[in-house]
Amino acid sequence: MKTVAKPATLRFYKERLLCVLVHVQQHLDEPLALEELARVAFLAPFHFHHVFTGMLGESLGSHLRRLRLERAACRLKLTNTPVAQVAFEAAYETHESFSRAFRKAFGLSPVQFRRRNGASALIQNASGVHYRDEKRPGNFRAAQLQEKTMQIIIKNLPPTRVAFMRHIGPYREVGKTWEHFTMLLGKDGLLGPGAQFIGIPHDDPAVTPSQKIRYDACVTVDAKFRADGEIGVQVVPGGDYAVLTHFGPYENLGDSYAKLLGQWLPRSGWRLRATPCLEIYFNSPENTEPDDLVTDIHAPLEII
Amino acid sequence: MSAKLDLYKLHKSEYVTPKAPALVCMKPAQYLAISGQGAPGGERFTACIGALYGAAFTIKMKRKFAGKQDYAVCKLEGQWFFDGDPATLPKNQWKWKLMIRTPDFISQADLKTAVVTLLERGKSPEVKEVTLETIDEGNCIQMLHVGPYEKENETVALMRSFAETKGLKLSGPHHEIYLSDPRRVPPERLKTILRVPAPKQAA
Repeated sequence: MKTVAKPATLRFYKERLLCVLVHVQQHLDEPLALEELARVAFLAPFHFHHVFTGMLGESLGSHLRRLRLERAACRLKLTNTPVAQVAFEAAYETHESFSRAFRKAFGLSPVQFRRRNGASALIQNASGVHYRDEKRPGNFRAAQLQEKTMQIIIKNLPPTRVAFMRHIGPYREVGKTWEHFTMLLGKDGLLGPGAQFIGIPHDDPAVTPSQKIRYDACVTVDAKFRADGEIGVQVVPGGDYAVLTHFGPYENLGDSYAKLLGQWLPRSGWRLRATPCLEIYFNSPENTEPDDLVTDIHAPLEII
Repeated sequence: MSAKLDLYKLHKSEYVTPKAPALVCMKPAQYLAISGQGAPGGERFTACIGALYGAAFTIKMKRKFAGKQDYAVCKLEGQWFFDGDPATLPKNQWKWKLMIRTPDFISQADLKTAVVTLLERGKSPEVKEVTLETIDEGNCIQMLHVGPYEKENETVALMRSFAETKGLKLSGPHHEIYLSDPRRVPPERLKTILRVPAPKQAA
């Protein structure tokens, strides 16, 4: 499907993210709670980060670190605050780690930077959002569509009954849950013709501590199947979904989510429904090289 | 996971993917298989793929649950039999055998148990047609084909002239190992290993 920018949707998402950016700048010294930011953005917590990363071109974490460093640079430039104090305010635990990060961003040590008049306190960034004293970013440049030919298909899925096993822990370990789950189903003949393998990621690894990430490994089952022990039953919500096929390792799924939710969605004329995204797997890492893995990412949609 | 048996890695020399025709020597190999006739992607073809994978997964998972040696279910392979020139033969007359390479320790009894389980689950009756058999291809010419299945004849032509330079003759049946998933991978990027037996000529 050809993606044509729909100004109304782009404005809709930009307004929401601007509220978030203002909130972030006003609370640079506080730990930011995902629920709070998602509330400010009127987005479901599990969608928030993909939209943020996709539109701003950096994750919330990198955004925070960059703004804190820019603020530190301003303080070095405009005040006599000791470097150790500036480092502390920028949320660095040691002077050394602050100096390292600072040098990486500005090419100068904090002391050199202070001595050099006229050095810019801005770190280059595509979004155009920078730390400002008045704490109000006026606007930002939404990331452009990287690929003019991003293949997005809108699909209407029926509600689907699935057997599932809940995984709690880092995403990179869901393979173990799948191994156990498919063994229990497979021995009973439940991986027969037509069985589909679906993943439901509930949490964003950028904010949720990896030990608390929830993910459901699901396989389609018929109406006769009953939940048993570790295996539950749920109905995957039906409705409209935007589908992007992700080719390659599962570690890179985040990039495709950011493209779909941060670049395509704001220009699509659709908005996200508050149900989780789905991943449908076409092959298995068991007999497929990581580069050849194929996954359809489904983002739930509703019309604005 | 390193303990998991991977037949393609174990028999690396049989699954080479050369960009130019090469000789490979196949030892007898066991497969789960199902035969049929009809257009690839057609109803019968798709039902047979489902039945084959259903049997393969059920056998594997029953063993795994019993604590026996685990192994990776291999990729789909197929042998093709044409009564005439495939270029002109209508697709509904194409005959094929779909196969999944399976470890030697899998027995007819394993298959039988799996089929009973699948039928009890009300799965498609095609599972009854799945067989466990050994195929001995011997000396073969092999090459990686990248692109749509329709253009395989170009690769086969290269394999044929290579065979001739070696004093060999392609004898069939034509064997394909599907490395890519045609449901999502665009045709120009599909990777398929082509293998055609070319027996050594009696001196």
